[in-house]
Amino acid sequence: MSTPVVFDPMTLPSDDNVNSYTFCVELKGSRWFLQKGKMIAYYGQINFDGIGHGRFDRLVRSSFHSPLHASDWVVAEGSGKMLLADRAFDVNSFDLEEGNLTIRSGNLLAFDPSLALKQSIVPGFVTLIGTGKFVAASNGPVVFMEPPLRVDPQALVGWADCPSPCHHYDHGYMTGVMGGIRSLTGIGGVSGEEHQFEFVGAGTVLLQSSEALMAEQATGAVPGEPGVPGGGSAPRMPGQLGDLQRRFGL
Amino acid sequence: MFRLQGSKTLAVDLTGDVVKAKNGSMVAYDGRMSFKKLSGGGEGLRGMVTRRLTGEQMTVMEVSGQGTCYFADRASEISLVSLHGDKLYVEASNLLATDSGLRTGTTFTGLRGGASGNGLFTTTVEGTGQAAIMSDGQAVVLRVTPQYPLMVDPGAYIAHQGHLQQHLQSGVNFRTLMGEGSGEAFQIRFEGDGLVYVQPSERNTVGGDV
Repeated sequence: MSTPVVFDPMTLPSDDNVNSYTFCVELKGSRWFLQKGKMIAYYGQINFDGIGHGRFDRLVRSSFHSPLHASDWVVAEGSGKMLLADRAFDVNSFDLEEGNLTIRSGNLLAFDPSLALKQSIVPGFVTLIGTGKFVAASNGPVVFMEPPLRVDPQALVGWADCPSPCHHYDHGYMTGVMGGIRSLTGIGGVSGEEHQFEFVGAGTVLLQSSEALMAEQATGAVPGEPGVPGGGSAPRMPGQLGDLQRRFGL
Repeated sequence: MFRLQGSKTLAVDLTGDVVKAKNGSMVAYDGRMSFKKLSGGGEGLRGMVTRRLTGEQMTVMEVSGQGTCYFADRASEISLVSLHGDKLYVEASNLLATDSGLRTGTTFTGLRGGASGNGLFTTTVEGTGQAAIMSDGQAVVLRVTPQYPLMVDPGAYIAHQGHLQQHLQSGVNFRTLMGEGSGEAFQIRFEGDGLVYVQPSERNTVGGDV
């Protein structure tokens, strides 16, 4: 019989994984950013406060440049050991040294305030810049790949040091009479793999081995105004001229 | 005799004795087995009344026979707990199997149960023997000593054993009321001497939203 390992504040690792789903952060009067609700247990004296209020207002300026995300994050402050986990997903810590890494906002669990978080221009992603440690969750272990590479949008966790990706669309499959019917109706088999993200240049791409997504916040998207591509406009009224009207700015 | 076959399947070697397991959790067996349906919440008429009143019901089956029986439930990770006369408190949904030396019952948990979204009552396992508990992801076992109390998120709590007092600790302040809370508004504080089992995943709780 395998007896489970019992942890106490002495034997818990410091800033390391307890098992593949749980990460332990040691605070010694220091601070960590973590996503709301990802703390499962802690020893010691730790306070959790929302970001961007009162004395933490300053942090938004120095290391959290994303007011849109601020409501989903908290600052843990105090001393003790704290366990982080997310929906029994694999968690891993990564170290950045004078680097940058862009990650799906839902996959980032926690980070050291020595890193600066900024919103990526790719919707739903955030970028970490600087030196420090962060913890990310992924559905299944993370796989590291080198560009040039095309990846399934759902399997993408993030990328480091390489230029932002662009869309790649298998156009051939969706043209012609049969293709048109396929794309409109789905009849004839849409493989679900017609659309990819394409990475070029030097860097590392992080993938998860599952296409199940973590909930992501729709931030960094273009404002929902008429005339802004992808912005989505007011609901269409009957008798309206479809997109033509919007194109002419009516 | 309980042993783990991988981390998600429980193998029980039976030589004419009896184990209680969550209804429908048998995945395979060899030898001769018979399965009989029971209900949790304690035995007899009193158990029946408690079950009706508390809602902490788990349907249990009694397995007896000769051979090896395998149990699993929705690919949950399984941890084995050995009890030597002490008491294990576990959420009914997290209890997979107990052996014949153990009794199960129902106790009132107070406010904590309300916050963990699991009702106000919890299942207790008492006696000498082994129990198997399930968690979403491998459970972490944390020791609580008088010097080191432990705070646990209600949604991640699955079980505890030993001499522990628990109370609900809240960090609710005026910001929470303004909808700008920290997401960690409630914690269960464990004090005393014992072990607490937490899972690396959170159930949806009332506390998680504030």
